[in-house]
Amino acid sequence: MALDLPALMERLWSDWRGKPKVKGLADAKFILDYQVQRHWDWRVAFYLFGAGTSAGLIFLEVLLRWLDVLEKTTALVGMWIGLTLALLSLVALFDHLGPRARWRFWYAIRNPRTSWISRGFFIVAVLVLLRIVVLLPSVPGLGGLPWGEDTVGGNVLRAVVLLFALGFMAYSGLVLSSWAAIAFWNTPMLPVLYMGYSFLGGMAALPLIALVTGGSAEVETLGGTLWPWVLGLLLGNGLALLLYVWGMATGIRPARVSVRLMVRGPQRWNFWVGVAVLGLVLPIVIVALEVGGVMGSDAVANVLLVIASAGTLVGGYILREAVLKVGVYGPPV
Amino acid sequence: MVRWAFTVDLERCVGCQSCVIACKAENGTPRNIHWMKVLEREEGEFPYAKRTFSPTRCNHCANPPCVQACPTGAFVQRKDGVVWVNQEACIGSMACMSACPYYVPYRWDGGEGYFGQQLTPYEEVKMRGFKRGAAQKCHFCYHRLDEGRPPACVESCPADALNYGDLEDPESAVNVLLRQKKHIQPRAELGTNPGLYYLTGKGGGTIGGGGDGRR
Repeated sequence: MALDLPALMERLWSDWRGKPKVKGLADAKFILDYQVQRHWDWRVAFYLFGAGTSAGLIFLEVLLRWLDVLEKTTALVGMWIGLTLALLSLVALFDHLGPRARWRFWYAIRNPRTSWISRGFFIVAVLVLLRIVVLLPSVPGLGGLPWGEDTVGGNVLRAVVLLFALGFMAYSGLVLSSWAAIAFWNTPMLPVLYMGYSFLGGMAALPLIALVTGGSAEVETLGGTLWPWVLGLLLGNGLALLLYVWGMATGIRPARVSVRLMVRGPQRWNFWVGVAVLGLVLPIVIVALEVGGVMGSDAVANVLLVIASAGTLVGGYILREAVLKVGVYGPPV
Repeated sequence: MVRWAFTVDLERCVGCQSCVIACKAENGTPRNIHWMKVLEREEGEFPYAKRTFSPTRCNHCANPPCVQACPTGAFVQRKDGVVWVNQEACIGSMACMSACPYYVPYRWDGGEGYFGQQLTPYEEVKMRGFKRGAAQKCHFCYHRLDEGRPPACVESCPADALNYGDLEDPESAVNVLLRQKKHIQPRAELGTNPGLYYLTGKGGGTIGGGGDGRR
């Protein structure tokens, strides 16, 4: 059967406009064709982005504090911001899941043997709790707790945090890639890509936090170590994205339909402007100029670096949303 | 051990939708929820155009991805292969919907009945069994199976296109049909081993060289 792509795109796009009271194929005509997933929306994308970026952020903070690159105040503020971001992303997720999940959220931990959602819930719950524990000594009046920075307890705690942060960054891609039903997600490239983007999100957020806590001087100190890594990660993520999309474009038919929806269909502006230009090309150019020493250290340079960081973060969110929205099921027969 | 399975004879199905209505009447599913669907496809061009029908519902897979994906264990597989949803345990994570290659489970978020806000007495009785925000799908009419009766969709089919039986019993209706007609298991390449066989024509054996061990 020949594929009528414009008609398919129009139908799949129109599927998104309606907001039925039923999640599933309720509003679709009973036709044997490709179906785009409609049950996970921007709130799930925000959860994957927010919790992933927050995990990347805490990973870097712990690491850079150990390497003595990051100021204590910046690390502390960053940890609070990261915790807030993780909690906000969980609020978005549970708002999407509805009233049953809100009051029975602990049920989600019942099936870790086979369910990635269950494993992810466990990881994110432990990570949030660990962060709260790590941050407790910074609360006025609790400074005497025996796991502050540079204590044995504190170092052990932070090492566990590193492990769980890595686990969550991998999980945000593994959860999607574990399902064979949607070919566009069912690839080992997705966890690699999402892990890279989680690290990148953390790296992009850190200079913004440093700018607030320590001004230009702090950004300059931090940037000497950070920018070359940011540039490398931006290029690496660009390559991973290229491999992912190219791999899917040469894959089975539902994956090819997803690629078309992303690069030529309803998500094309998000992909090309949001993910490619704002999230990759623009930051790569700015950070490359900074690493090459062309930009100097004036106010304009700082503004440009803020734009690069913000663009990277926005691109990271848009990527998660676009990947969710172009998930296509093959015909069930 | 019993393993229940369906056959759907694609040559016999005329797309009358009586299975859809029978399922609705039997289970009283909410508005817009269809545990049983007859998907249509138009093929060819005038004057050789034709419309084919593919009745679709939960396939009660032997390796159900929904059971594996569900974080709460709300999707339960019985010993006879029937997969059902424990709505009390479901938190509406929709993992089942993402995992099912047949896009079968629904999540009902409430809403009107078929005749507006005011539910009919029938709807009131039936809707008590459905939790708002929980997943639901075909359960093979296990309440009927346990009484020795066929599922409502099978019983209602006027063209005898739908059949069911025990895959482990060589003389069951399903195995007899599988010996008589060519058949395919939908999306078998995903390893779900669905309990559904589409019969596609005379002469036994699988299509495409698939080896499901049945003749």
